[in-house]
Amino acid sequence: MATDKKNGKAEQELMEKIRNGFMVESEEDMTPDYKKSLITQLTVQADTELMSAPAYYLASKDAPTINSRIAVTAIIHDELGHANIAYRIMEDLGVDKHWLVYGRKPHEFKHPYGFDQPLENWAEMVVANGFFDRAGICLLGDVLENTSYGPLKRSLVKVDREEILHLRHGESWMKRLSKAGGEAKELLQRAVDWMFPMTIEWFGLPDELKHHSGQLDYRLKGQTNDQLRQTWMDATVPLCEKIGIKVPAHYDKEKGDYILDYPFPCQYNPDEKRWLFDEPLTWDQVFKRWKARGPMNKTYAEMVQGDLDSIFGGRLW
Amino acid sequence: MVTENQVWQALKAVNDPEYPLSIVDLGIIYKVEVLQAIVAIEMTFTAMGCPAIDMILLDVDEEVRKISGVKNVDIEIVWSPPWTRDRITPAGREILQYYGVGV
Repeated sequence: MATDKKNGKAEQELMEKIRNGFMVESEEDMTPDYKKSLITQLTVQADTELMSAPAYYLASKDAPTINSRIAVTAIIHDELGHANIAYRIMEDLGVDKHWLVYGRKPHEFKHPYGFDQPLENWAEMVVANGFFDRAGICLLGDVLENTSYGPLKRSLVKVDREEILHLRHGESWMKRLSKAGGEAKELLQRAVDWMFPMTIEWFGLPDELKHHSGQLDYRLKGQTNDQLRQTWMDATVPLCEKIGIKVPAHYDKEKGDYILDYPFPCQYNPDEKRWLFDEPLTWDQVFKRWKARGPMNKTYAEMVQGDLDSIFGGRLW
Repeated sequence: MVTENQVWQALKAVNDPEYPLSIVDLGIIYKVEVLQAIVAIEMTFTAMGCPAIDMILLDVDEEVRKISGVKNVDIEIVWSPPWTRDRITPAGREILQYYGVGV
């Protein structure tokens, strides 16, 4: 989040240096505002990776074969590793990592609304890999390419490779379920119906409403929200079209952009897992829905934090 | 007439799902045999708990079936001899080292 300090002399000097290719390597190179923007970004990154773990874990129980269960548990293992990388980088900046993971209330985590939702069958699990992990690759791939913070850039090389495995797992299963037809394809379509708009919303405020972004000024990322949304659709829409799955978006040749076929943003009914295309919202209303958190927020946080007072809880270690 | 060489070429198009090297360079293909329209492949994985087994098997099947004249792909997974890092080709080694994987 941008702050009013951004116009200070030190801030302007740092931005100028970064524009000329300077890589920030330690706290000494930072201004307080840079550090704040970086920590905000890392918190979202770490929390998103962390909360994918309990979501995928519950869904892994629906895996149809041992090999596919192993694939999902390996993905969970990766995600926890990625979360740890981002929390560790924050720890080096003086943030209390233990507090971040164990000290916060469920609603204080900064992951997107999508990871407050239950994944209730194998189709939803693999669409999560195909859509949510693709969103992760768009966002983190952009950070890897553009970030001015050296330690983060280096750490993301491995993260990026591993996310590609998750994506391939998701997409290869989406193809397979579609090819199988019948109920498998129906469940796949139903998963896409709620998870496509969920990922679209994930990228946040459209550029026209987004005020000044410290993350772009400090080159903590390179692409704007709308550009990232397009990058995601550019991969996702053709994939779905190819396998015969409908999505509420199409490519506009004249504009050279993907266009959504529904009012964006709009209301979501988490109990029915249904987007209400006849109920457009303002972004303030969306933020209100996000802040209220989704149905699995508490459960996922409790799974991650564990019951420290139980027999097998924190007291043992 | 399908040749073994065609099958090896097809297998070179199958990449490890994580790193951009082919499964041939990774050294997990042990044997290829062609019996008219049937292709028999003997292969292993880098570990029994490898999370990518399903994905790689699907990719192998898909690529080999692209060869005109192939009707059936018969894949046998073997664990002996076990795969070791020595089986990675020099080209594969270079790719993995680029990504910081110790080989």
